[in-house]
Amino acid sequence: MREQEIFFKHSLRINDYLCQGCTTCMRSCPTGAIRIRGGKAVFNDNKCVDCGECMKVCPHKAIYIKQDDFCLIENYGYRVCLVPTTFIGQFDEKYKTKAIYSCLKKLGFTHIYEVEHEVDNMVDLYNQYMEDHPEIRTFISSYCPAVTRLIQVRFPSLVENIIRLRSPLELASRVIIKRLMDEGARREAIGVFYVTPCAAKIAAVKSPVSGKETCISGVINMDFLYNKVQLLLHDSPRDVQPINHALTSRGVLWPLAGGEASLFKGDHYAVDGLQNVLNFLEKLEDEAIDAPGLVEMRICDQGCVGGVLATNNRFVARKRLEYRARLFDRLQRTRKPEPRNMDPEFAKYIAEQMEIPEIKPRSLYKLNDDFAEAFKMASRMRKIEKALPGVNCSACGTPSCAALAEDIVRGEARMDTCIFINPHSQASADAVRRIWGDRVKPGEDNKNNP
Amino acid sequence: MHYTFTIERGNFTDAGQASSSVKRTLKQLGVDPANIKRTVVALFEAEINAIAHAYGGTIDVDIDEGKIVMVVADQGPGIPNLDLAMQEGWSTASAKVREMGYGAGMGLPNIKKNTDDLKIDTEVGVGTTVTMTVYLV
Repeated sequence: MREQEIFFKHSLRINDYLCQGCTTCMRSCPTGAIRIRGGKAVFNDNKCVDCGECMKVCPHKAIYIKQDDFCLIENYGYRVCLVPTTFIGQFDEKYKTKAIYSCLKKLGFTHIYEVEHEVDNMVDLYNQYMEDHPEIRTFISSYCPAVTRLIQVRFPSLVENIIRLRSPLELASRVIIKRLMDEGARREAIGVFYVTPCAAKIAAVKSPVSGKETCISGVINMDFLYNKVQLLLHDSPRDVQPINHALTSRGVLWPLAGGEASLFKGDHYAVDGLQNVLNFLEKLEDEAIDAPGLVEMRICDQGCVGGVLATNNRFVARKRLEYRARLFDRLQRTRKPEPRNMDPEFAKYIAEQMEIPEIKPRSLYKLNDDFAEAFKMASRMRKIEKALPGVNCSACGTPSCAALAEDIVRGEARMDTCIFINPHSQASADAVRRIWGDRVKPGEDNKNNP
Repeated sequence: MHYTFTIERGNFTDAGQASSSVKRTLKQLGVDPANIKRTVVALFEAEINAIAHAYGGTIDVDIDEGKIVMVVADQGPGIPNLDLAMQEGWSTASAKVREMGYGAGMGLPNIKKNTDDLKIDTEVGVGTTVTMTVYLV
């Protein structure tokens, strides 16, 4: 609980022993949340949106996701594994879904429940929301928590376009708790553990954007659980317990890029991958594109199968899920459909619980709360930027010359951290000039600055 | 703070650079998102107008402590009937421009809607200068 004072609680961590300060993560961060200090990467917690891009690109495996201790599950009599279908997609089709679930039980879980079990109810909630808000032209799905946070800090004017409903994960956790309690379980005895494919989902559980409390007791990294299950499967692939699962193809495909959008009748768009998301939001904000309808957005390429904790190749995982979706559809036809309607009182409770009252914009660009002061800083920043070499070498420990200019006006860096402006010897000045030419002209722009 | 951009006839691909960089500065200044949106939408519309109709031009943006003034000046055919052009849905855009999704006749009306002050100087055969002002605080 030590990070209460910051806006977002993060799960991404840097292993200082492995970090070489190579600048790769810093340069890939979409919100400029990383700097190099003392030879190591450090995060600015108020800028990070948990997209996990830094962890994906780190060549030294120095960035990791802090997970809850697996032993936590022992604290509960009812140990529910809330598993997204992305997890099933990690395994070869030759393993039955029941076999995978049997392994989870061997590891200590008493109940297995799929996050996407409730997508049909989720679609109903979405449709109702869109009907209730005719004034909004473009609805942005709130499914990917990294997208929601990215919009908060980089595209504040689009905050009102986000569908203010919590995720299928929150819905599923409440439904399974209700079911177990209906069977006689005490609430305190139920522990719900979510298997996450990414850093953003952990952060969303630990500090939900809604500010409302979550029903999830702990979060387990998908790669950790994958290794354990794969080992068990390998040793005894035919040890299968009878476990009922009622996933539909709609649920299986939901975490994939396009899986969510395609469930809606009206106009819809499926945008996946960090650069595509940034580009789309930028254009949407300028009204340079008109996108009436629902926009599904996933920070990871191909959707959640592209998550940083998904072990196997995203395209292979996608194919596997598509295979299982066809299989489940065939099974579904031979089986009595589960009743979809919740009892009215529970449905009312769910509708209240799923609502996010407000999503606050938190622009990370704003230089100062006072307009006049911000104006002065912005003018100075432009001047400094012109004086810097513009080669974005990152030797100053910031991602770009523009970022250094911003750090300087914010008082977090000095002009002389630029090695072009302040070479440590005549020889290095000569070397810089040989390679880059006359990039810096010491003159009026530089001398006013510290 | 002053910004200058150039406009090239028919180059829809590069449209939006002016609005993007203005947007960034306004975000740094902590301008209210609704005002940022108005500014950026107006500027983008004016730029598209010049790209679609004129033979090239320039965008000059000045931001001071209370307002932003955007001047889009083109060397173009000029607007023969300004009253008509200000009507929603009225357009002289070519079929080619319409094919690209522009030319719905909403450009100038949309600019008027989004700015606090709009001045249009136009002369047929010479060009059009659109001066847009948005009060930021």
